[in-house]
Amino acid sequence: MWFRKNADSELNAELRYHFDRLIRDFVAAGMEPAEAQRLARLEFGGVEQVKEECRDVRGRWLEDFGQDFRYAARTLGRSPGFLVVSVLSLALGIGANTAIFSLIDAVMLRSLPVQAPERLVQITRLQPNGKPGVVSYPLFEYLRDNLKSISGTAVEMSADRAITMDGAEELVTAEMVSGTHYSLLGMEPSAGRLLQPADDETAPASPAAVISYRYWQRRFGLNSTAIGKAFTLGDKVFTIVGVTPPRFEGTRPGRDPDITLPLLMMLSDGQRREDSLNMLSMMARLKPGVTVQQADAELQVLWQSFLLRRATAVQEKYRPGFLRQRAGVLSAATGFNSLRNDYSVALLVLMCIVALVLLLACANLSGLLLARAASRQREISIRLAIGAGRGRLMRQFLAESFVLASLGGSTGLTLAHWFSAALVTMMANGGTLLLSIAPDWRVLAFTGAISLLACALAGLAPGWHALRANPNPGLKEVRMGGQQLGRAMVIAQLTISMVLLVGATLFVGTLMRLYRVDRGVRTDGVLTFNIRSIERYPQARSWAVQQVLLDRLNVLPGVAAATAAQMIPIGGGLWTRHAQVEGYTFRSDESEDVGFDVIAPKYFATVGTPLLTGREFDERDTNTASKAAIVNESFGRYFFGAQSPLGRHVTSVNVTYEIVGVVRDAKYQDLRHDVIKTMYIPWMQREGDQPTNYKYLARIPAGNPLRLVPALEKLVREADPSLRLGTSQTYSTLVDRSIVTERIMATLGGFFGILALIIACLGIFGVMAFRVSLRTNEIGLRMALGASRGGIVALVLHEVARMLMVGSLAGVAVSLSLTGFTEKMLFGIKTTQPAVFAFPVAVLAVAALVAGWLPARSASRVDPMVALRHD
Amino acid sequence: MDAQKSDLLQGTLDVLILKIVALEPIHGYGIAQRIRQISKAVLQVQQGSLYPALHRLEKRGLLCAKWGEAETGREAKFYSLTKSGRKQLETETANWDRLSEAVTMILRTAE
Repeated sequence: MWFRKNADSELNAELRYHFDRLIRDFVAAGMEPAEAQRLARLEFGGVEQVKEECRDVRGRWLEDFGQDFRYAARTLGRSPGFLVVSVLSLALGIGANTAIFSLIDAVMLRSLPVQAPERLVQITRLQPNGKPGVVSYPLFEYLRDNLKSISGTAVEMSADRAITMDGAEELVTAEMVSGTHYSLLGMEPSAGRLLQPADDETAPASPAAVISYRYWQRRFGLNSTAIGKAFTLGDKVFTIVGVTPPRFEGTRPGRDPDITLPLLMMLSDGQRREDSLNMLSMMARLKPGVTVQQADAELQVLWQSFLLRRATAVQEKYRPGFLRQRAGVLSAATGFNSLRNDYSVALLVLMCIVALVLLLACANLSGLLLARAASRQREISIRLAIGAGRGRLMRQFLAESFVLASLGGSTGLTLAHWFSAALVTMMANGGTLLLSIAPDWRVLAFTGAISLLACALAGLAPGWHALRANPNPGLKEVRMGGQQLGRAMVIAQLTISMVLLVGATLFVGTLMRLYRVDRGVRTDGVLTFNIRSIERYPQARSWAVQQVLLDRLNVLPGVAAATAAQMIPIGGGLWTRHAQVEGYTFRSDESEDVGFDVIAPKYFATVGTPLLTGREFDERDTNTASKAAIVNESFGRYFFGAQSPLGRHVTSVNVTYEIVGVVRDAKYQDLRHDVIKTMYIPWMQREGDQPTNYKYLARIPAGNPLRLVPALEKLVREADPSLRLGTSQTYSTLVDRSIVTERIMATLGGFFGILALIIACLGIFGVMAFRVSLRTNEIGLRMALGASRGGIVALVLHEVARMLMVGSLAGVAVSLSLTGFTEKMLFGIKTTQPAVFAFPVAVLAVAALVAGWLPARSASRVDPMVALRHD
Repeated sequence: MDAQKSDLLQGTLDVLILKIVALEPIHGYGIAQRIRQISKAVLQVQQGSLYPALHRLEKRGLLCAKWGEAETGREAKFYSLTKSGRKQLETETANWDRLSEAVTMILRTAE
């Protein structure tokens, strides 16, 4: 502390001068130098007292503080083991909290960097689960023209597209927006101009495009020649007219569009006219003074009249369902935030988990500090007895935990960055997720606050306890100080660990059950991929291209079977269609919907779904042959009961198909959803088809299916010059990616459960070792009186067991009250199931007893004679 | 923290210091000497009260300090009066006059 040194040396010099002058004056008066010195010292009195008094006058708060820190650093430095363990557990706790919070910040709190983002709303149809959906172009127009609570609107939709610029092809993320998009957001370009209402043309002569700042940087090195540059997308030539501001990363968090195009020209006539073609996201700005609730109330009226008008065209039995559709006005301050919709519950649950981890680390640290304080009880009593201020002593304890908390906090911040980057990778789920997780002021403030909180939580209890002690008995001997408090800390750790272990059991259990679900397909050894195409084919040409593609695939070396399908199991859904089944009459309120998939030959052989009776589709099923269908077990059972579906007929959309085969059920949407009664038709009998509509599948006999990729790139181009290989992944990866939230929760839940277990064990070990050392005397006495070693071990373990029992019971109670709201995230496991608690209790018991056994064993090795002489 | 034990004494010392510092910038040793000389050795200031008083007055903003060369050629800490110190001196002097007058009056009358 230079400040103190400075002030002190000044004080020294000042007093020294006085002293020397005294001597000088005495000598001048004729005294011997030695005598003069003696006299001066006599007259001057106690220099140190004068100094102390001056320091008191100047105020010594800061100096004392420095002293406290130096003292804390010294004592901590003397026990490096304790230092490392406590800093590490705090760092993990603080780091995990910071990481999760920075994701919550990025996903849920950060507003769009546009003008008054809090006034932006999303106007949307709502999905049955309440999440925002999309609107059709006519619905957008209707709302734009009739809603009075809003002052501006825009619609947009996103797509990844291949463009050709300077003769080179590249894939870009693209957003298509209405001309009002940028003026609604209130944005100024970095260069050139942004899109404007004049760009809303259905067939512009020279369409404009806007690029993002990052694309400008990446592709053009921020060079102004980018403006005016042309590129081709499909059959259209666009000109780049401007660049968005650097801070703007689009309206969909996690997705930063490289290129923004005018929407209207990209929509087909049908898409502009059909009010059932929902695919647009609509944003609006609230008029001044209007609240989201008021806008929503106005929307409900308009929405009802919109639905009623269209309901007349809907078959009567579907009308109630049609009218049940909902719409709403939601805040869009953070944009069209699908990440928030997908992850907010998971992130909040994770936040609770990591908060518990930090609490655990604090309880752990508090217990250890308490033990250290108790071993310093005598020193503290002496200091109290000779008049040290209690506040000052308390500050000393806090200084110790403050040093630990700041070390933990700064280490935690480093850990956090690494940790949230890992989490973003998991959330990206194999794609790109452009989330900025660099700590902003909110994150830094949060880290600072929790570090201080940790410091207070960990330091107050031991400090308070030590000070409450009466100086007198403390002077005589180290009594079992902090017994109650120490035990309470261990019990708290056991309780928290129990809760975290229950959480881990729930999430890991969910994941295991999901993997055990019967999918109806064999996903091992299968590669799935998409095809992109630069052109649209007429139907006959398309069929020909598809056929060539599949023929080549099937003779590709190393491929056992290859096929294509519009939808594949666990691929995210299945189209449904009305169907009339021969010999079956629907009740008036019964839905006529059945699942409907379009597949190529060898489909079932490739995905590994067993054929029960009949045949698969093959080369016979061309568009000129008689129409054939295959149905799944559920379909057969529902419509035909015990009779065979073979040879029966199904009519859908005016085409009648004969059932030629029955297959085992497979899960389509995801692992959680039930099987849908499904019919399959051959791809060569499906009109209006494109090769790009399909997912392709190739099964290999053994090994990693990804090794096919290089050969596939070539094969696809050779099959047709305008075809390209799109995204490819193994079928197993696709399944993994369908349960990303569950995997994140299981990984992190399990990780934190184990972490909690380790921290709690360290805590139990530390506290028990200390308690045993306090009881050395007693143990020696017991052994002298004939207690066996086993008896001593049992004595110590008995105490651990008692704390374990209380901790587990409390843990179960807390878990029951906390885990209820995770119910929706779980699968095949109930929060109240006894098994959910049995496993954590068993694990915790084993861990706690091992942690308690080590000190117990060393207690049992005590030599009675040495122990009895122990003070 | 500050010694409230002898209000009068402390107050008196403070005003004496202010008075002496008001004449010219002066170091601690000089102040002690001056008080002794002027009071004809009636008043002796102990270093133990002088320096804490100086630091207290400095902290209250009545004095300011500067290091400078003393008569002997060595560096010493010179104190001088601040604006608020001058004001304080005036009020204190007036207070002292009133008080000593009152005390003298009572003492005389009592005789």
